[in-house]
Amino acid sequence: MAESNPKLVCFSCKFGWGYLSEESALASKITNWIPVVCSGKIDTSHILKAFRAGADGVLILGCSEGHCHFQDGNIQTEKKVLLLQKVLETFGIEQERLEIQLSMDPDGQNIPLLIKKMEENLIKLGPIKRL
Amino acid sequence: MADKPKVAVYWLGACAGCDESIVDLNETLLQLAQVVDIVLWPVAMDFKYAHIEALKDGEISLSILSGSVRNSDHEEMAGLLRKKSKLVLALGACACFGGTAGLANFKTKEEIFSWVYLDAPTVVNPEARFPQTETRVDGKVLTLPEFYDHVYTLDQIIEVDYYLPGCPPPPDLIANAVNSVLTGDLPPIGSTLAPRMALCDTCSRNKKKPSKMEITQIKRIHEVEADPDSCFLAEGIICMGPATRTGCGETCMKTNLPCRGCFGPPPGVVGAGPKYLSALTSLIKAEKTEEIHEIIKDIVDPAGYFYRFTQPSSILGRKKPKKQMEE
Ligand code: SF4
Ligand code: SF4
Repeated sequence: MAESNPKLVCFSCKFGWGYLSEESALASKITNWIPVVCSGKIDTSHILKAFRAGADGVLILGCSEGHCHFQDGNIQTEKKVLLLQKVLETFGIEQERLEIQLSMDPDGQNIPLLIKKMEENLIKLGPIKRL
Repeated sequence: MADKPKVAVYWLGACAGCDESIVDLNETLLQLAQVVDIVLWPVAMDFKYAHIEALKDGEISLSILSGSVRNSDHEEMAGLLRKKSKLVLALGACACFGGTAGLANFKTKEEIFSWVYLDAPTVVNPEARFPQTETRVDGKVLTLPEFYDHVYTLDQIIEVDYYLPGCPPPPDLIANAVNSVLTGDLPPIGSTLAPRMALCDTCSRNKKKPSKMEITQIKRIHEVEADPDSCFLAEGIICMGPATRTGCGETCMKTNLPCRGCFGPPPGVVGAGPKYLSALTSLIKAEKTEEIHEIIKDIVDPAGYFYRFTQPSSILGRKKPKKQMEE
């Protein structure tokens, strides 16, 4: 990981994040961005494979509580993420490297800002030591 | 004698439980001994490695290898037996996925050495001596295998033809595997010689599973008196059945213990650990972040639970060996 350029993978739900903006316009501003139809679709293996492939952090953006289009996909993923954080810690991957935020951002303007904020944390953490 | 197919049985980083399971074939073992020529089996018989080295390449019909690969001796023997054998069967969870010994990958070699040779309360080592691969004593050189910085599965070191998981694998599946080799009635190379379903599919406790499972509290098996017929998961006791291949004979279930996952994942599943984690969390009844934390705080050592037998073959735990056997 170059000091200034940690690799962050962001998954976000298309229903809550950036649905009023042109996806390609947003995509041009965000690297390693994977919009999905419901955050519930994000499997633990997707997250692990991102780390395996060299990600320094993974950010998941789902809809706010009570606003999932599929009832509770966001909560299902939150449960996975909170438990997976503990598992990652044992693998030597700090919990802060996997974050989930449940909120709404129709324009998607916050996505690059949230990524920036997490990247700053990742710079402080430095590279993953154990993998 | 010379016409009988040759079979070798060898332990790498193993506890001998897999060998014990072969011994548990009882009378079948005697019948087997009449039709095959056992050329190596350290736990039961006396052979010299030089005899194996003297064999032609591919002369052994089947090598049954248990244990993971943790040191240079394991790697060397695995390579030698691969060269001399037509078929290699990885026997047991350690050889197939790394096994319980693979949990050591959660620590570095340095951490392990410090604990074992320095910091453990029963150790007295004032001069802080650590094992060396070479030591000179009276002009002679004593050698020890090199302890690697990682636990490897067998197929990360040599090519493996068939797999038979379990800790240890049950004797009936071992007998089937050997018979299949002897009769030539074998599935495609790379197959696991065990049923293809998940344990939940064959578990008798499945009938008592409620149609909608909701876990509100995680309990550990020693903290409760588990009902001998009920599904463990439905009671909030972690049972690896949903992410584990069946075929073990359900010995744990029969003694009222939940499945720990020694048969590894069912076919098509890469990583039993993360799959199980997803399955388990989907059953947890919680709607708010605090409620989720409240329930999962009782899962003590989740990585240890979910990767108990599979760490070295897992998405994050696997590692390419530094040096491969030459040739
Ligand atoms: S699979 Fe189990 S019984 Fe076999 S060597 Fe490993 S720990 Fe021992
Ligand atoms: S979770 Fe365990 S107890 Fe329940 S059906 Fe599956 S294997 Fe049986």
